[in-house]
Amino acid sequence: MLAYNQKKFLIVDDFSDFRSSVRSMLRELGVKEVDTADTGEQALKMCSQKRYDFVLHDFNLGDGKKNGQHVLEDLMVDRLLSHEAVFIMVTAENSQAMVMSALEWEPDAYLTKPFNRAGLAQRLEKLVQRKTMLKPILQALDRGKPSEVLAACVALTTKDPRYAPLCLRYKADALRDLKQYEPLEAFLKSILADRPTPWAYAALGNLLLKRNKATEAQEVFEAAVKAFSGMPILYDGLAEALVARGDVVRAQKVLEDAVRISPLAVRRQTLLGKLALDNQDFDGASRAYRQAVSQGQFSRFKNPETNLGFAQALISRGGDQGLDARTRVEINQTLGDVAKDNGDDQGVQVRARLMKASSVQHSDPEMAAKLTAEAMGRLQNMDQFLSANAALAVATQLKSLGHADAGAGVLKTCAEIYGDDPVVMQGIAKQTDDPAILGANKAAIDLNIQGVRSYKGGNLAEAQDFFRRALALQAKNISIALNLAQALLHSLATAPDAVKLEECRACLKMIGKMPSDDPRFERFQKLQSKAFGA
Amino acid sequence: MSKKDAGLDFSMVIASTVHDMKNSLASLMQAHGQWQGRLSDEQKDTPERGVIDYEFAHLNGMMVQLLGLYKLEVNQLPLRPEYHEMDDFIEAQLAWHEEVLNSRALVATFEVDSLCPLGFFDRELIGSVVANVIINAIRFAKQSILITVREEDGQVVIVINDDGPGYPADMIEFQFDHVQGINQVSGSTGLGLYFAAQIAGRHQRNGVCGRIELANGGRLGGGMFSLYLP
Repeated sequence: MLAYNQKKFLIVDDFSDFRSSVRSMLRELGVKEVDTADTGEQALKMCSQKRYDFVLHDFNLGDGKKNGQHVLEDLMVDRLLSHEAVFIMVTAENSQAMVMSALEWEPDAYLTKPFNRAGLAQRLEKLVQRKTMLKPILQALDRGKPSEVLAACVALTTKDPRYAPLCLRYKADALRDLKQYEPLEAFLKSILADRPTPWAYAALGNLLLKRNKATEAQEVFEAAVKAFSGMPILYDGLAEALVARGDVVRAQKVLEDAVRISPLAVRRQTLLGKLALDNQDFDGASRAYRQAVSQGQFSRFKNPETNLGFAQALISRGGDQGLDARTRVEINQTLGDVAKDNGDDQGVQVRARLMKASSVQHSDPEMAAKLTAEAMGRLQNMDQFLSANAALAVATQLKSLGHADAGAGVLKTCAEIYGDDPVVMQGIAKQTDDPAILGANKAAIDLNIQGVRSYKGGNLAEAQDFFRRALALQAKNISIALNLAQALLHSLATAPDAVKLEECRACLKMIGKMPSDDPRFERFQKLQSKAFGA
Repeated sequence: MSKKDAGLDFSMVIASTVHDMKNSLASLMQAHGQWQGRLSDEQKDTPERGVIDYEFAHLNGMMVQLLGLYKLEVNQLPLRPEYHEMDDFIEAQLAWHEEVLNSRALVATFEVDSLCPLGFFDRELIGSVVANVIINAIRFAKQSILITVREEDGQVVIVINDDGPGYPADMIEFQFDHVQGINQVSGSTGLGLYFAAQIAGRHQRNGVCGRIELANGGRLGGGMFSLYLP
């Protein structure tokens, strides 16, 4: 029997009978330190104040509350629980029934109610043994060092080849984090050829998507959905592959299947809403977004786009016939919430007002005009950049609210910031034919391409010059500014130069206005810490 | 959807009811366990306790099985295979039945071949099959139950053997029919076999399906249930 007297336990369950029963089982096992919580929120708070060695968490804490999966995700993402700690999901019935919404974070074990002391003791003991065996891997994970994870996997497998299967997933994740994509692809394919698992299918499909092999990714996910028809996360992957291939209609159908299996997933419902909106299925879009908004309250995946999308879907559903009273209430509620929750986000403030204005455009033109004026005022003073999608939506709305000029202005800025992205430019071209907007950035983009060529060829001075000239033409283009900052930093590493450092910092300050969900944000942060750090 | 609207789906009504019953039973077992904990050993060790513990486990096993069958039927039983250490898996099963075994004065032992690789299966589904077989063995065993795990032609074989009278001859002879679900007249046993075979069969590797086998004899001379997992 293991010594538990030094270990810290947390029991999370909404039934006090259950908490006290498990507490007394643990006491009999010699545990001294047992805390309890009755909600996920409380559990998270307690985990941020104390490092627990064991968490026994009930999956279902009641409708409209954070469930065990939400809490596990929060604990891992916010690093409130060590990889060495044991998280046990306690379920009222066979966990198959509630098909987990996520694959990324899985509990160390499921324990089905009811269980007895002997059963609990056995599980705990085995889990501790396993964690002890995997300790080098888990510690490397806590340190966030994928190369050490990889080394630890190799060491363990050499020591006892029987345990090699337990390392597969750690190894795959480490290869992914190290961006060793070729070996990872071969590794995942070898796993799938022998013993297919849902996670391996998902990992391979996502890898192929990341490497722009959408057709292959689609094949992998099709096979996965066939083999594991009950795993919604594989449907998500299939939908993503279909979107990448441009088959938005089938992608929507696939996500509808996934939602039928597991309606509890904010991100899935949000994506479904967006696809339905793109497919002009406004009923479907309203339904999915409504789910996403209501579930999002308790999830870390809460996102202003969900509320804005919901309002958009409801307005579109009304069409020219206008909106009934109930729909207007729903729109007000969801827009009010998003404006309140994102008080600091200027873009959301502008968009919420425009959305509201669109909703009352026919019923209350005066109010619509007032809200539009307010939004335009805020837009004018806005310091942050809108994301490309947000800018396109804002431009459309301004136009339909009778402010085509303001809309064109938004498109122009958008082209300046994101003009090097052909997808964004296609979106802009759908809304305007103005050559001053569509063609303005061509010269700058050519210079940028030449700069990249010089940079790759190792001619830093020439590259800097090209980027500098490009940026002079398109002062807000994020890609060009990032390139200039990087080229400057590169030469600064060997030849310090106060003027160039200042120039680089100015670039980064401008880029800092980009939305934090931009895929380039990580690159920006790295450059930022180099330019402003030590 | 239109089908659902047309009327009450009776199998769903049963499944929901069983689901609630199972939760009630869980509370009952929990409360009973707490109450037992407060009794002295003398007060605890009564013959009635053996009956109560056994029937609790038996009821629970039947309900899990019934829900499992329902989900099989409506295709809601997704497989989640993972690698598992076999000694851990068997130990967990025996720990769960500890009270019943003790109160019936049965000795349950297990032997996992040290060369046996990790098993690759859905822990909960295979767990529910093994639990039902153990409950059945407890019912018929005189003194002992033996669980062995070995590797055979790349498959993991779990064998549950008891020292009871063994399976009736016709059940062994017609086991294939039970497994097919053709002969379900003999009550729970037939349904249990059907469930076990369905779940075993869902575990596949390179075209080889898992399966079950009934026999009498083995080291303890009674019933012998074998589960093959590729």
